[in-house]
Amino acid sequence: MTSIDDFIAIIRDEIGIPVEADDAGRHFDQLPGWDSVFLLQLLTALERETGRRISLPDVLDCPDLKSVYALATAS
Amino acid sequence: MAAPTTEGSDRETGETLLTLHRSGRLAAEYPRVRGLLAGCSEAELRRAGNLLSRLRPEDVRQAHPGVPVVSVAVTGHGTLAPLVPALTAELARHGLLLRPHLADYDSYVFDLSDPGSTLRRFDADVVLCVLDPAVVLDELPVPWTPEDVERAWDEKLGLLTGLVTRYRSTGRGTLVLNTVPLPALLPAQLLEHRSRARLGAVWRQANSRLLELAQSHPGLVVLDLDPLVAEGIAVTDERLSQYAKVHLAPPLLARYAREVGHLARHLAGRTKKALLLDLDGTLWNGTLGEDGFDVLQGDHSEPFRFLQRVVRQLGSQGVLLGVVSKNDVEPVRAVLREHPRMVLREEDLVTVVANWRPKHENIAELAGTLNLGTDSFVFMDDTPAECGLVEAELPGVTVLRAGAEPAHHVATLLRDGWFDTLVLTTEDRARVEKYQQEVERRDFLQQSASVEEYLRLLGVRVRLSPVAPSEVARVSQLSLRTNQFNMTLSRLQPADVARLVAGPATSVLVVHAADRFGDNGLVGAVFLRRAADVVHIDGFLLSCRVFSRGIEQACLGAILRHARAAGATAVVGEHRRGPKNGAVRDLYPRHGFRQVTDDGTTTVFRHDLDSEDPLPVPAHLQFTDQCGGDTP
Repeated sequence: MTSIDDFIAIIRDEIGIPVEADDAGRHFDQLPGWDSVFLLQLLTALERETGRRISLPDVLDCPDLKSVYALATAS
Repeated sequence: MAAPTTEGSDRETGETLLTLHRSGRLAAEYPRVRGLLAGCSEAELRRAGNLLSRLRPEDVRQAHPGVPVVSVAVTGHGTLAPLVPALTAELARHGLLLRPHLADYDSYVFDLSDPGSTLRRFDADVVLCVLDPAVVLDELPVPWTPEDVERAWDEKLGLLTGLVTRYRSTGRGTLVLNTVPLPALLPAQLLEHRSRARLGAVWRQANSRLLELAQSHPGLVVLDLDPLVAEGIAVTDERLSQYAKVHLAPPLLARYAREVGHLARHLAGRTKKALLLDLDGTLWNGTLGEDGFDVLQGDHSEPFRFLQRVVRQLGSQGVLLGVVSKNDVEPVRAVLREHPRMVLREEDLVTVVANWRPKHENIAELAGTLNLGTDSFVFMDDTPAECGLVEAELPGVTVLRAGAEPAHHVATLLRDGWFDTLVLTTEDRARVEKYQQEVERRDFLQQSASVEEYLRLLGVRVRLSPVAPSEVARVSQLSLRTNQFNMTLSRLQPADVARLVAGPATSVLVVHAADRFGDNGLVGAVFLRRAADVVHIDGFLLSCRVFSRGIEQACLGAILRHARAAGATAVVGEHRRGPKNGAVRDLYPRHGFRQVTDDGTTTVFRHDLDSEDPLPVPAHLQFTDQCGGDTP
């Protein structure tokens, strides 16, 4: 996963939610069809993709997809 | 035709599903999904579940009104949302569509006990009340002792027993509980081995009491998670449990969903009925044509003898067994009769097909002889080309690929509970004999000069009577298994049948049949309801073994006579269109009913009872009517 586009593709293909790159900064409350349980599925998919552990409570605190991406790519 | 490898087909499956998802065509192409999911890996299945659970069931239903829907309500203690995609995928594997309801967090007590709860109003076919370790752990003080655990379990078991009783008294649908595996982090907190042993005993006793609930409450299913965990699945994922209250790890939830998929398939009337096996390389090591009686010798033969024992075990519970082999028939019969190391014998089998024709032709012909749909068959073979050919020619047949390691054959056979059932009846245990008689009847028919002579010589005896309490389970099972002669596609669980028996305006009649070849047992059921001066036939089922013998005419005639004697002015019957009951669409008009309405799925017929005996018993039948005043 090297770009936000890859990240969006994972959400679309693994979680099945039709998001666009423009949606990354929208609060989850404004994201149509979003459910907090998707964050758990997303975390699993990202850990598999990146081979790294990501803090689950940090992910649960994220207000939007952009912040999840930042967590997943933080060095 | 070469069969694709597992790895290749997995990739292909994933890509195709993804392409359908990306182009928004998953709902439109839903009937393809079952085939795409066959044999795909757990990882692929997990992703498929995510994608499929985004579909709206009503969109799939609109595109494909024939897809069977199973509604499942999920409740319990922890966060159970991850279970829904897993259930979606497992039901899709069996060609079913999930209509899910996910209850609010930790709401199971209210959900099950209050008849007005959202869950109860959802009216599910299956209600899953998922129990996890936190059900008990959340009740423990700090510090705790095994006695505290015992007390907490006692309270929960009392609560659960009450919930089961209350739910069963008013709720429809099969309630499913589960045992709770002991998480390793619990005994590890006790330093003394004696205390650990005490905790283990307390925990196992609680699980035993859960399992015993299933013995005392018919219609309750308690899934035992211990054997699933013993396959090597972790009980908990500590991060998910502690941060997100997902108290059973997702892989265990997925495995649990697979068991629910088997149950849903059974409740939807899609239980498999017959198991056909190849011989060389599947049921024995070696090649009969070359090795003769040297097949099934040496240490290499042990996995094959294990498979034979398991196959016999299935046969003893009503699964029809047959072999389909490319061999000459005489040597095959000789081995089945005389080989000292064979476990499976000729008398265990309803049929031995050994010839050089393509296997799919043999299977199609056998389906005709046994009067079963090809989708009632499971076929197991070690030759990929044979598997691929049967799959391609008979897509309804479930094909099990016996792989290169024979020690895994039994696991391959049992992995998907193809023959699972809620209850076994005496009919099941005698089924093999009944179908062997069926094959004899076919031979007899072929030797008879005419159908009339065949029927006369067959000496059919039929008895119509009110259902006895001991027959309720069999009537339920007949409704779940019968797809062809099932006028209204009745799918009744035992509690539903009991309710009809107890109802003031409803009654259940059963049909017993026998002939010169033996007793067919309980082969049919009629569900009647009286409304004002009209008798409604809400359901009419007849086992496929006894079609075309005039039994339906004799039974309908009796219903008309009883209705007339009880002062009714008409009898109304319906035919609801299903994938396999087209042959009985004209049952009512053939017997003097006239069509009243037809809305595209259901046709309604009416008989005005305008003569003394509108439908006499066919001359070749000996008919006993024991209904007396028991019809409405």
